[in-house]
Amino acid sequence: MNVSRNYLMSRAFAALFLLLALAGNSPAAMDYDQLFRQSGDLMAQGDLEGALKLLRQVPLPAAGEEAAPFVSSRMQAARIHAAQEAPDKAIAACQEVLKLYPDNSEARNFVAALQAQLKPRWHTILSDIVRFLPALAKGTIMTLLLVFCTILVSPLGGLLLALGRISTLRPISALCWFITWFFRGTPLLLQLFFIYYGLPSLGITLAPLTAAVIGLGLNYSAYLGEIIRGAIQSIDHGQMEAAKAIGMSYGQAMRRVIIPQTYKRLMPPVGNEFIALIKDTALVSTIAMVELMRAADQLFNTYFNITALGLAAAIYLLLTTIFTFIFEKIEYRAGIYEHR
Amino acid sequence: MSIVREPLLKLEKITKRFKSLTAVNGVNLEVASGEKLVIIGPSGSGKSTLLRSINLLEEIDEGTIRFEGVEVGYVTRHGKRHLDRPQAISTLRAEIGMVFQHFHLFPHMTVLGNVMEGPLTVQRKPTDEARSIATDMLAKVGLSDKSNVFPATLSGGQKQRVAIARALAMRPKLMLFDEPTSALDPELVGEVFDTIHTLADEGMTMIIVTHHMGFARELADRVIFMESGNFLAQGRPEELFSAAQGNERIKLFLNRLL
Ligand SMILES: Nc1ncnc2c1ncn2[C@@H]1O[C@H](COP(=O)(O)OP(=O)(O)O)[C@@H](O)[C@H]1O
Ligand SMILES: [Mg+2]
Repeated sequence: MNVSRNYLMSRAFAALFLLLALAGNSPAAMDYDQLFRQSGDLMAQGDLEGALKLLRQVPLPAAGEEAAPFVSSRMQAARIHAAQEAPDKAIAACQEVLKLYPDNSEARNFVAALQAQLKPRWHTILSDIVRFLPALAKGTIMTLLLVFCTILVSPLGGLLLALGRISTLRPISALCWFITWFFRGTPLLLQLFFIYYGLPSLGITLAPLTAAVIGLGLNYSAYLGEIIRGAIQSIDHGQMEAAKAIGMSYGQAMRRVIIPQTYKRLMPPVGNEFIALIKDTALVSTIAMVELMRAADQLFNTYFNITALGLAAAIYLLLTTIFTFIFEKIEYRAGIYEHR
Repeated sequence: MSIVREPLLKLEKITKRFKSLTAVNGVNLEVASGEKLVIIGPSGSGKSTLLRSINLLEEIDEGTIRFEGVEVGYVTRHGKRHLDRPQAISTLRAEIGMVFQHFHLFPHMTVLGNVMEGPLTVQRKPTDEARSIATDMLAKVGLSDKSNVFPATLSGGQKQRVAIARALAMRPKLMLFDEPTSALDPELVGEVFDTIHTLADEGMTMIIVTHHMGFARELADRVIFMESGNFLAQGRPEELFSAAQGNERIKLFLNRLL
């Protein structure tokens, strides 16, 4: 609560003098006059509690009695409470006034101002965001690096696995089947652990980034391989025959005729995989890499502040949304020849 | 020169089996250069399998194929028959054009791209040359104005004419047509037959499988009636169609078509 204490004090005194001038020469006014003066003195000495006690002594006005002393005392109390950073008590004091005089604009405005002060968790959240963003941005860059490396590696790996599996050479198709079976059939987390923590015992020590890209690359190659194989096999067999009939080799037919026709069909499932990939990179945080998830986790543990996690969620959502959008565009482009 | 008298294509005792089913049963066939041969016969009689065996889309079980007097497609290693090297097979296929019932145009390439593809990728011609060949072929089939559209926008007849241009772009010595009009609406059949006629007039050697007897009668030097993997009868069209009066099976087949 950053309401300036001095400002409130000066407001309090101003109100006090105004009151004294108005209260003039009524018989009861003498008591109140003294009471307000005493409370003003106490405030000046810094004894806010004492001042409050005095102000509380002003009773509810009896029928026909003047409202001004009561209203002034409660509003003064409200200001002191606000200065003490106790907005709820300040509001309660205002509400005593509003109960009797619902139209009292001073009380009403003060309540509104206090409630506005109560709200601004905004401020804290905003300043937290500003505080956390640099670390999360660094994590995001690492996450994106992992995503891009995997996107570069896995379609190639997937294509090789797909071509291997449909090959008529038994050893090759068996090997590719095995690789696919293994990497789709075990958890990515386990694969990462094996590559980063397990391989050193076989004399192979890898940097975290290398281990992460190898793990993600193999895992995603296995998934994409099955998707690509499905897409290749879904192309009408007549296409391969027509290509062969003009003298193309198997490789030429694949490269020029079959594979280009799979692009459109590939885009939706591959887009799905890559969105899953953005989130799967979070698993890499377990092998000593500080990417987005790990960065958020570190902030959360340091500040015990949930904003860090919320912010990380927002960044993941932003990335996945951008990817979805890009893939829809590519899918449309890839299938443009089907438009009549 | 003896090469001149050599038939362009000579099949000896070709047999193709699918498991227990014999689709082509020891067939002998000679096709002279410039000859127009029409094969007719009921569905499932082995006509497609025979055509596909000629350009090695099917691996035959027995027999030999000679093209320009040279045995092609198979080699014997350790007493066993094998398909020849992929390179040799591609070379043979490049000399034999094939047109399919369902066109099988490459949907991701423009019409021009489809026709250029053979010269460009298989013959490795420079782009300019491939394009000029393709442009000529499209003009020949009357589709110059469709060069830059994708096949999806064409009618069935136009698609088949593009498929013919695509085959012709390889400058084949023999053209195989497997029911080129069977997938077309009746009003589109004519334009495809006209295109084939033009080729015939230019002296192209061709084997055509079709159910259109009128077309066969007009175009064919020779008609073969095939059934159950065998040639039941063959001869000049007028011979075969009149001889058919004496052959119950051919008569039945022809009557059903009319
Ligand atoms: N790939 C194949 N596998 C098994 N049987 C086939 C295959 N291709 C053709 N056949 C069979 O071989 C026979 C001849 O077929 P096909 O040559 O297509 O006949 P046609 O073209 O005269 O209608 C048919 O009985 C057909 O079912
Ligand atoms: Mg057929």
